[in-house]
Amino acid sequence: MKSQPESSLVRGTPLDEKALRQGKTFSVTYVPKLQYAWDTGQAIGRYLAELKEGRLIARSCRKCERIMIPPRMFCERCFRPTDDWVYVKDTGKIFTFSLCYVSWDVRRLKQPEIPAVIEVDGASPGMGILHVVKKIPPKKVHIGMAVRAVWKPKPKRTGSVTDIAYWEPIKK
Amino acid sequence: MTQLPTKNEQRSWPGKIPLTSLYTVGTGGQIFFHALKTQGKLIGTRCNPCEQVYLPARSFCERCFAELTEQVQVKRTGRLVSYTISYVDHDGARLRRPTALGLVQLEGATTLILHYLLSVDDPTEVKIGCRVETVIKPKAKRIGSILDIEGFRVIGGDRKG
Repeated sequence: MKSQPESSLVRGTPLDEKALRQGKTFSVTYVPKLQYAWDTGQAIGRYLAELKEGRLIARSCRKCERIMIPPRMFCERCFRPTDDWVYVKDTGKIFTFSLCYVSWDVRRLKQPEIPAVIEVDGASPGMGILHVVKKIPPKKVHIGMAVRAVWKPKPKRTGSVTDIAYWEPIKK
Repeated sequence: MTQLPTKNEQRSWPGKIPLTSLYTVGTGGQIFFHALKTQGKLIGTRCNPCEQVYLPARSFCERCFAELTEQVQVKRTGRLVSYTISYVDHDGARLRRPTALGLVQLEGATTLILHYLLSVDDPTEVKIGCRVETVIKPKAKRIGSILDIEGFRVIGGDRKG
């Protein structure tokens, strides 16, 4: 620890990083065990269970005739409960995408990750899920590109959106 | 909507929050832990006007807020002021061996210090007011932690036998 300069307006004793790393400045560490569980609600509960089976399921609203994915029990456009469960395809089109050269924990990446919103075939226009596209050179990705879901093998699925490993282009 | 969960429905989404914190012991704590680690000594700080000796050392007096600069070595022996025998762990699970914790005033200090009471085989033998001695780990095992003190051992007073 260094003593503070007298001219400093900030009270206190600044920490010397080197002293801290060398253990010359004594400290106590603590790792709290923080666990939680969200209630999925009915719509997402069914959605996750179907993902585990390798299927994508949506909800439809008979009034506005939309098919919504991820499913929801309430139509935010009509202000009424949605009506039916509808299976949709595990293919779709790239609605938006990003070439991401920085990982989630801020490491620089040589090969970019390609997060994308996939407009799912069988659901209403603009209805899609945020996921990741692979098996394509970054420069070739474009909006409207046809893609298909690549599922994890069944024993590895957990009832999560990551039960789809990634989406890949459909070769024509 | 009161529909009951069906078999093909997942009910909850689990998560964890990774958090790690690090507290530095402060300027007063630095004096105490440095002396404990390097010399196995117990160092407090004195406030003369308030007639207090704080252990572990503090950088200011809690009563008059004066800066404390006078360091005092406190003895390893003292008296048991209070104690607790704990039969359960943090989660409420029963412990195989109960843990004893003692609140001790060491000779030369006016404050109390909380630590383990060692080798308590029979809880009925522990009495408030009995003499205790601080057990400090050998130097090679000291790292500048409150656990460099192993705890307090009852050495006499009201203890039977």
